[in-house]
Amino acid sequence: MTALRRCIAIAFTALFLVSCGGTVPVESVGSSPGATASPGSTASAGAASAGVESGDPDLTANLTIWGWEAAINTLKEVDPAFNEAYPNVSVEYVVQPPADTYRNIQLALAAGSGAPDISVIEDSHLAQFVELGGLADITEQVAPYRSVMNGYKWDTADSEGRTYGMPWDSGPVALYYRRDVFEEAGVDPASIETWDDYYEAATTIMAETGVPMLQNSKARNSGRLLEMLIWQRGLGYVDDEGAVILDEAPEIRETLEYLGRFWEEDLALDNEEWTDPWYAAFADGDVATQIAAVWMGTFFKSFIAPDAGGDWGVVRLPVWEEGDAQASNDGGSQLAMFEESEQKEAAWAYIEFHLGVEESQLTMYRELDIFPSLETTYDDPFFDEPDPYFGGDTARALFAEVVAEIPSAGMYTADYQEMNGILMTEIQKYAMGEQSAEEALGTAASTIRESTQRP
Amino acid sequence: MRLLPHRSAPPGRSVRFGARTAYPGLRSLWRLRWPYLFIAPFFILFAIFFVYPIVFSLWLSLHDTRGLGEGTFVGLGNYGLLLRDQFFWGSMLNAAILFLIYVPIMTAMAVVLASVLNAGFVRLQGMWRMLIFLPHATSMVAAGYTFRLLLERDSGYVNTALFAFGVSPIPWLDDGWWARISVGLLMIWAWLGYNTVIMLAGLQTIPRDLVEAAKVDGADAVQAFLRITVPLLKPVIVFAVTLSIIGTFSLFAEPFVLTRGGPARATETPVMQIFSTTFEEVKYGYAAAMAFVYFAVVVVVTIIQFSFVTRGEDA
Repeated sequence: MTALRRCIAIAFTALFLVSCGGTVPVESVGSSPGATASPGSTASAGAASAGVESGDPDLTANLTIWGWEAAINTLKEVDPAFNEAYPNVSVEYVVQPPADTYRNIQLALAAGSGAPDISVIEDSHLAQFVELGGLADITEQVAPYRSVMNGYKWDTADSEGRTYGMPWDSGPVALYYRRDVFEEAGVDPASIETWDDYYEAATTIMAETGVPMLQNSKARNSGRLLEMLIWQRGLGYVDDEGAVILDEAPEIRETLEYLGRFWEEDLALDNEEWTDPWYAAFADGDVATQIAAVWMGTFFKSFIAPDAGGDWGVVRLPVWEEGDAQASNDGGSQLAMFEESEQKEAAWAYIEFHLGVEESQLTMYRELDIFPSLETTYDDPFFDEPDPYFGGDTARALFAEVVAEIPSAGMYTADYQEMNGILMTEIQKYAMGEQSAEEALGTAASTIRESTQRP
Repeated sequence: MRLLPHRSAPPGRSVRFGARTAYPGLRSLWRLRWPYLFIAPFFILFAIFFVYPIVFSLWLSLHDTRGLGEGTFVGLGNYGLLLRDQFFWGSMLNAAILFLIYVPIMTAMAVVLASVLNAGFVRLQGMWRMLIFLPHATSMVAAGYTFRLLLERDSGYVNTALFAFGVSPIPWLDDGWWARISVGLLMIWAWLGYNTVIMLAGLQTIPRDLVEAAKVDGADAVQAFLRITVPLLKPVIVFAVTLSIIGTFSLFAEPFVLTRGGPARATETPVMQIFSTTFEEVKYGYAAAMAFVYFAVVVVVTIIQFSFVTRGEDA
């Protein structure tokens, strides 16, 4: 018996040693901040790009980059040019779905090793990782780009005056509509100026054609549509001070009730996002509009409705009140480096070459429709070319207009995942008729306050 | 049979060893070094992959930590918060409801099926047994997606088939209670065969002469089944139900794929809660506290079920 106890003691000593070994912080080597930043302190991206574009044949590294298929495929479009500029920097991509990418980053950070040099991180998750720690501080490196990227993108990348992400793409939101359905119903999309007009159009279209105005799931609502509509009004889950406002801003209740009207009057098709029936409704013209970000167009073209070219059009969002922003945001992503990376100089070269150089951003936009956050690209003639998929609309120029007007909103905070999960539950109960909009937002707000310990 | 090593040390060495150390335990440890060495691999792995995580989770559950750095010690703070966490207790309630929805039906079906498969008059017994067990060997993710296709409200095959009989569409996945029933259906499909096999094993330990004697005394087949077979099978049934309790509370893949825990968290189980708290909300300490409370609840429920059943035995 004593022997056994001794054995256990030995085992625990061993375990203790093992566990200590695991938590030794990994020391970061190399990379002096700012070493690769553009020469001089000019705030122009042109000057910054010139430095990185010419490359550095002496820089040698083997970078590991994490991301999901669509993102990695897009980054790869720039790699031939990158390889020419940096012939001795090789890149290894690890492709996993977003949820797996985030989970593995967390596990690597918690374990103290195994993180990549760079990862793609959506804006909706970036703040969480910034708060968690483990991302490299790239404040000095991004300094030349602060004024030329969409301003609101820095909201999620910044924390206490330091910056941990480089904006890649933005998610300006507009109103996609089916030309054929609108024509049949005799509704002119240009006449929809306010959200009340949008509702009127919905009743007309339903009466004339029997087609619902939009798709918005009840029991499996994701909360994203409500988020887009309140973001347009400069509202999110929290205010500038971090206090929960879901139950305090009457505009949020109005917006939820507005969406509720479409459910009550059967003007919304109850399909879950990203499922086959949802795709089919877009492809077959069983829904008249979709309120969505610029990347929705990419999905329409590539796999949701590739044969519907010419059937869809894009217009700016209606407004709540005259003078409101005709703009909102949904999604978007950034590239971030990790503190434990030992190749930070090369990692920044990669990020700067892919995201800071106009030609790279334009290549990615041209080839795979990832909308640049780099504002200096918007002058390119490509933006004024008509898009045949959208019936010749100059959709790109439209999104460039939208993105400039996106208001700041307390949406993608470090607790976004949790807050979205809580709000989603209450919206579902509201949609299923189990509670009022006021109760839904009240419960969501108090639950969020309790679980995130916010005021 | 001697389990001790056959080659004992010469007396002189043994004395010297004993004299050098004041601990008699170390001596017996040395004497039994080979048996200990042979069982060591298991205990080392057990310590690394079971004991250490449990101890570490306990440490985590007493801290406010997101997995990085030390975190702050909060004592029982996480447990205090947990008491008021409506989503967590809701998920416990969901598991209990789910248990009541499918376990009684599944267990009864398993007993009946096992009896039929055990009866002499059924041909091709091996084939039937394999067919019934087959769903259990299927990947739960694939099965979950298939059930989604079947149960989709507007385009699902089940509602399409029901429509042919004039039944209006059932919101299988779009209503809290129907979603629970849908998960129950998937559970029965996946676990009926497993339970049937357990029952079959139990049935084969019941001597056939008991049933035959009852029949000689004038009992018909149903009476013999209810009065002889089922009571004798009771320990096996208790065992199967215990497994089902633990299985239901730790459900993950089935509702995760079929309903994502919805609508409005009606099918969210405790383990799904722990998963999302860890990996989406990144609250390691809080999730660890959840895991311990969840464990305690499962133990208590199992004990209650056991004592409930044994009390029935005395009556």
